[in-house]
Amino acid sequence: MSQSILVIGGGFGGITAALEAAEVGHEVYLVEKNPYLGGRVMQLNKYFPKLCPPSCGLEIQFQRIKRNPKITCLTLAEVMSVSGQPGNYEVAVRIKPRCTDQSSVDLSKLAAELSRDIPNAFEFELSTRKALYMDVPFAFPQRYTLDRDNLDESDRRKLTKHEAIDLDAKEKTITLNCGSIIVATGWKPYDVANLTNLGAGRLANCITNMQMERLAAPSGPTAGSITRPSDNRPPRKVAFVQCAGSRDENHLPYCSYICCMASLKQAQYVREQYPESEVTIFYIDLRTPGRYENFSKKILADEKVKAVKGKVAAVQEDLASQGIWVTAEDAVAGNKLVECFDLVVLATGMQPSLSGLPLPMDVGMDENGFLTGGEERGIFSVGCAKEPLDVMKSAQSGTSAAMQAIQTVRGR
Amino acid sequence: MSEPLRIQPNLEFVQELQAIGGQDLKKCYQCATCSVVCPLSPMDRSFPRKEMVWAQWGLKDRLVNDIDMWLCHKCGQCSEQCPRGAKPGELMSALRNMAYRNLMGPKFIGEWMSSIKHLPKLIAIPAIIYLLVWFVTGSLQGTPFPLEHGKIEFGLIFPGDYTIDPVFVLVFFFAVYTFIRGIGKLYQGFDTQPKTFVLGYHPPENIWVSLYQVLKEEVVTHKKWKDCGEEEPEDTKFKGHLVLFYSFIALAVVTGIVAFTHWGGKVLPFLHMPYPMALWNPVKILANIGAIGLFVGLIYLTKRRVAPSEKDESSYYDWYLIVLIWVVAVTGMLSQIFRIAEVAGLAYSVYYLHLVSVFMLIAYTPWSKLGHLVYRIAALTYARRHGRLSTEIETDKNKVYVI
Repeated sequence: MSQSILVIGGGFGGITAALEAAEVGHEVYLVEKNPYLGGRVMQLNKYFPKLCPPSCGLEIQFQRIKRNPKITCLTLAEVMSVSGQPGNYEVAVRIKPRCTDQSSVDLSKLAAELSRDIPNAFEFELSTRKALYMDVPFAFPQRYTLDRDNLDESDRRKLTKHEAIDLDAKEKTITLNCGSIIVATGWKPYDVANLTNLGAGRLANCITNMQMERLAAPSGPTAGSITRPSDNRPPRKVAFVQCAGSRDENHLPYCSYICCMASLKQAQYVREQYPESEVTIFYIDLRTPGRYENFSKKILADEKVKAVKGKVAAVQEDLASQGIWVTAEDAVAGNKLVECFDLVVLATGMQPSLSGLPLPMDVGMDENGFLTGGEERGIFSVGCAKEPLDVMKSAQSGTSAAMQAIQTVRGR
Repeated sequence: MSEPLRIQPNLEFVQELQAIGGQDLKKCYQCATCSVVCPLSPMDRSFPRKEMVWAQWGLKDRLVNDIDMWLCHKCGQCSEQCPRGAKPGELMSALRNMAYRNLMGPKFIGEWMSSIKHLPKLIAIPAIIYLLVWFVTGSLQGTPFPLEHGKIEFGLIFPGDYTIDPVFVLVFFFAVYTFIRGIGKLYQGFDTQPKTFVLGYHPPENIWVSLYQVLKEEVVTHKKWKDCGEEEPEDTKFKGHLVLFYSFIALAVVTGIVAFTHWGGKVLPFLHMPYPMALWNPVKILANIGAIGLFVGLIYLTKRRVAPSEKDESSYYDWYLIVLIWVVAVTGMLSQIFRIAEVAGLAYSVYYLHLVSVFMLIAYTPWSKLGHLVYRIAALTYARRHGRLSTEIETDKNKVYVI
């Protein structure tokens, strides 16, 4: 029997589960696919319920991880296979090399010397990064990552000379022994390329809500000023398109739970930054569960924030201004609206990260990619791997999963 | 709204709608995607979102008097992009089907035309009439398949002057009379509905100018069909309908000429044309071009209907009409072929079937999908007159303000 617990996914839910289990004395392996912990929360400007920046919350969690010898944190790591049974699982984990030294040496100068500019996935391609990068704010671990596939010959020459770089590092696979598994693999934004009637991501000023978070974030590509990607000018009129791919049989049939709140929050970003600006939110139903209703009331009390019942079903780029013409029917008035906005934000929904991927373990998955069951086999899913949730509820489900995992490895 | 309005849902009506094609209407959550993606929906009081909510609420008065069902040409965009699979396009055609059934009496015809189980009765009426005729004339001739100078002569069994023309003229005017009353009833219904006050639009000065504009700008060109989309399968549908439409016109012209020369020939002998016509006769050529066109159009339209489509389902009304036109076209062509090939038994039998099917096509038109020929044109005429414009219409003044 192993008393160890494996947590897959180093986002807010996974970190919470790992800490809860480790702090009562269990050995925990935290496996994260990306180079850094923090997951989607790291990409947000502010998050609910208190509208704090991600540093508030995540930084404390990172400290707790750092100080807790019970947690082994594996980044750039993926679970390849799982065998065994509850209480005794053998898990093969593939770890990609980071190619940089263990010490947290500052490689920013070296990175700047590299030739290629690569679209930055963390910034949703609103900016670029170098092949040697540490693109997240307050990164944990505080180490640069080298992306060897994006180097040319001169880059290689520069890098081989540097003592903190290991160009020949090898990928390795390790085997972990654990008694229970917590799956906190989180979500990805629904791919806008599928939203053909909403520009499919090809119109510069028709962005996604996650891109908006990066534009508004002080650590983001514009240092926090919300400007139009096409010309870096401040937008005067901003539209939010709700249910962009959610509650739609042709895309994600379920409600992604948080996009209405995200748009209301982002409306506040815009209104705070530009007092003259006007915001219109096009919705099917504004879903503001529980106490979030109060937040919704507060934002909508602003006379420059308008909510229109009617889904936007067509957008078109204005050739002169690169604004976006939006067509919707105001279902309350019964008339169609055609209006030009400087910036349009698509409130794209959450798709589980595992959707469409082969699962390395024996756990159920519904037709949308959310995990089901697994409890009887000591496998517990957390947060958005199971259902669309906000950060607070993800953290709660992390705690609950930790409790169940502990019960599995220790018996009741 | 200063006074609360108490709506009175007609649940029976909702169930009726669900039964004839609107079965998914309750899935709608009013996101209004349909009204936006519809290429024909006007800017004000757009459809089909409002029809969906009326249908859910069971607002029968609104729905049966709704002009917009006739503005819809069912491209299926709304059903395709509907996030809920509520199929607004099917509701619009269900409303039209309901109009075919209920708009005009006698009630039993509408009822019989609405379901395949009543089809035998509809066939029986002309079938019995012409079977009796065949029996009588056959007895007089001494054979059911008589020949004149060795040639097949349909007039021997079904003499036109006594058994075809009087019946068909009667039936034709019955249909025309029904249509005229139908248009009146349709317009009365439209009048009860709220209107839009449109600035800057100069409506045609009277209904006849409006009709002329509809015929010239929409019917002849099939412009609305093009607006519905020019990609497959809309293109197949557009071509099929266009060819079928002009073939019908060609055949109507032929029928008109034949009737005119025949009956006119009795008064003014120089109008008389020998019958059957020679194959090189221009009227005969037009008839055969029409017949071939009929087949081409039918093949296009049938191909599309047979292809499984989520966004455009076929109802009994669709199948009734398309199959009937097939029967008319096939029996018409075959009776000509068998006559020329001198296969008497087959020629007379097929000709008999042809008469039965043509009778059905004409007599039951106001209650069939073919009724749209009249009702749709009438509705479009009304729409133009009252400034109910689709997004695409450009007026001579360029700008139209809708209040």
